[in-house]
Amino acid sequence: MSVSGHRHVPLRFDAGTLLLKGAGKTNPNEATGGIPWQWDPRVAAWRCDARHYPDLAPAILAGNLPLDDQVPAWQPIHWPQVNVRQLRPEQIKAVSAWLAARRGCVIMPTGTGKTEVALEIMRQTAVSTLVVAPVRDLMYQWHRRILESLGYDAGIVGDNTFRVQPVSVTTYDSACIHMEKFGDRFGLIVFDECHHLPGAMRRDAAAQSAAPFRLGLTATPERGDGRHVDLNWLIGPTLYELPLSEVRGASLAEYDVVRVPVHLSEEEQTRYDLLSRDLRDYFVKRTQDDKSFTWEKLCREMMHSPEARRMNRAFRAKVAIEDRAEEKLRILEDLFRLHAGEPVLVFVGSNAMARDVSVRFLVPCLLSHTRKEERLDYLRGLESGVYPVLVANQVLDEGVDLPEVKTAIVIGGQASTRQARQRLGRILRRSGNARAVLYEVVCVETGDEDRSRQRRSHDAYSGTRTRRI
Amino acid sequence: MLTREHALAEFDYRRGIVIPDRLTRAAHAHYIPLAEQMLRIYREGTGRLRRDLHRQVDALFEHEDDCPLRRVKAFCKLLDDAAEYDLDSSGKAAELRQRVFRLAAPRHPLRRTRSDQIPGGERTVKREIGEELQTTWSAIEASLFSDVIEFQRMLTFTGYSSASAFLSRYNVAQVQVALFDAIQLTVWAREDFKTILRYAKLARLMHSILLLPDGTHQFRFDGPASILRETRRYGSAFARFLPGLLACRNWKLHAVMSTPRAGWSLALDLADTDGLRSHVPPPSDFDSEIEEQFADRWDSKPRDGWMLIREGEVLHSGQKVFVPDFTLKHPDGRKAFLEIIGFWTPEYLANKREVLRTFADVPIVLAVANSVLHSLADLPANIVVYKTRLSVDEVLAAVAKTAASLDSAAKSG
Repeated sequence: MSVSGHRHVPLRFDAGTLLLKGAGKTNPNEATGGIPWQWDPRVAAWRCDARHYPDLAPAILAGNLPLDDQVPAWQPIHWPQVNVRQLRPEQIKAVSAWLAARRGCVIMPTGTGKTEVALEIMRQTAVSTLVVAPVRDLMYQWHRRILESLGYDAGIVGDNTFRVQPVSVTTYDSACIHMEKFGDRFGLIVFDECHHLPGAMRRDAAAQSAAPFRLGLTATPERGDGRHVDLNWLIGPTLYELPLSEVRGASLAEYDVVRVPVHLSEEEQTRYDLLSRDLRDYFVKRTQDDKSFTWEKLCREMMHSPEARRMNRAFRAKVAIEDRAEEKLRILEDLFRLHAGEPVLVFVGSNAMARDVSVRFLVPCLLSHTRKEERLDYLRGLESGVYPVLVANQVLDEGVDLPEVKTAIVIGGQASTRQARQRLGRILRRSGNARAVLYEVVCVETGDEDRSRQRRSHDAYSGTRTRRI
Repeated sequence: MLTREHALAEFDYRRGIVIPDRLTRAAHAHYIPLAEQMLRIYREGTGRLRRDLHRQVDALFEHEDDCPLRRVKAFCKLLDDAAEYDLDSSGKAAELRQRVFRLAAPRHPLRRTRSDQIPGGERTVKREIGEELQTTWSAIEASLFSDVIEFQRMLTFTGYSSASAFLSRYNVAQVQVALFDAIQLTVWAREDFKTILRYAKLARLMHSILLLPDGTHQFRFDGPASILRETRRYGSAFARFLPGLLACRNWKLHAVMSTPRAGWSLALDLADTDGLRSHVPPPSDFDSEIEEQFADRWDSKPRDGWMLIREGEVLHSGQKVFVPDFTLKHPDGRKAFLEIIGFWTPEYLANKREVLRTFADVPIVLAVANSVLHSLADLPANIVVYKTRLSVDEVLAAVAKTAASLDSAAKSG
């Protein structure tokens, strides 16, 4: 870059990027220690992603770069009323590991107090902070925890609200859209459940932020698509990791996994078999003509073929029969009786099944669109004993703080390892010495069973017992 | 507008193009009566549940050979967009649920029974709760989840004037949602520059502008991060920009599209002649009456050799643009611009002042209303003052003084 006299070149934040205007036409890459600047002829300036700011800042501060740094719009924060819980040893280790680097990820199993680690880091860093959460339920939960622990009424960006404060909470979807507007306003950015970040669009939530301090939190960093390696540069390296095996029985309760097989009713089985035969016949017929015929091909054919559409409907009807098998409701009645007087969580595979259970037993259910007040009433009501049971679809799959529960029942749902681990974590809350039980209700001889087998391949499920009720 | 889950387009990798779903009179004549039936379902659907309206629309296409699921879903979305539903914003359903669940809690778990007389049985408890709330259980069950999207009731439908208006909105919506995956747009235009640039600015797009030798303007649109990497993050801005472009005349569009196949990009091409109809009004030819009268009096013939061309050229410097009302061209290669300052809010004048300062070295004649002259008199431009009509002769005289030869005229970014 041309260093002409004492004139300092302005460095600005511009829509999620850094803009260097007036630095001449020589690429400032070398002078800035390898930052990949691009010449932008549209504005006659050098441009790079805002995420490179932390690499520039030390050199600017040291006076080694002749830049007039106009980027930081963040500010020191004075927390109105600090009320952070006493941390456990592993939480203290996590905090100091992060503080030594100030950019990177902390990996801790669900239920081991990641949120408290983040709140302590926020307290000590005391700078404008943005917390990014996967869904709006968790966003509101962060809002509440920040208010309780640090006395700060944080701004909210998401759920049709746009209220930016020096400390704010948001969702990944909102963050990647709006970061270009406020990527210069936060010195610390916290990515909760940060395995969500590396998605093609969502990564902009990190790329377009200039925050020098970055914290990623997750129990399960791995992604099916392998993109978790990008967390290294989107947030920073893994600074602390607490394996699940270390906490089992220590800060988390011991748990049993009990598998309860159910059969389809005669009528359900008849319909199920008919649908299965239709599908099988169709596939046999098609693969005779075309060896490479797949489900994907069938999906493409749905555009022009009522028959392909019929097969797709048949497949979905099969899944629905498994998902909403009547017998599952009967098993639930038995399990509810068995655990009468203690709070029970029920996880289901669809909104429709959640409503089925809710209407059958007149117990509250959390759906993806349940509003804030109602959700709070149910969560607190389960804790205080007002409600005996809470039924939940995907909503509670990640990190939503739940009252201490020692009994959970899984009915349906997907086979992914992460989901299984998170569902387990939910009932493994620190809850004294009592052992926790996870019931898994699956239809025998259907796709449900394959999924259960896949689920058990994860080590958290080792020691599964099958029990007839 | 549609969302990605409604997007329906053909990715033709052999020809390298994306073809958004489009219903045409030639190939889809039978969609006109289907569209009429859909509109009827919604027009007569006041008070019905969203799920039932969707099911009835689904049923219309049950035996249709040529109809992907997404097309039907997209129809429902566009119909819903023009309808108003009872969203239960006061939270009546949630309140009812909380009351029912609290009443039932002490009797948990409700046992499955055949009779509604067995104490503690499911049927008995439900009957009792109905009585406690001074209604029946079936009435309670009907409204227990009335705030859930598929169980919301439609209040009004104010959509589409005709079946073809509905189908043409569908066609535009599919192009818009396809553009969500666009990386960059190029538009070639010969007129309506002001409208094109205004909609691009409203969508917060950045531009690069090139005047081609044949007089066509090439606009390349994308966003700040586009210079750093291929990104779809401006796709929704392209989609917002489209209806404005469709309202214009004489243009071509080329979009570079990202695809699910890594390393492949395809093209989406479109022109005004493709006949997609916009729901925004076409740009008016003139900003003001003064302009229109002046153009009328000038006529299409040259005056002293000068041709008068409406919005003939886009002046640009970085991300600042200025489209003077008229370009005047002389066969000997001279050129000048005419800008008529017709209305006069202080902001408008301040903005004009800023623009004229940016483009100070451009040969421009300003026609200024007598009433605002005092606030613009200091500008470094040739000024013609008018009261109620702008004199052609005075403009000609000013143009002759101001005009520069073509090669030194336009300032380029």
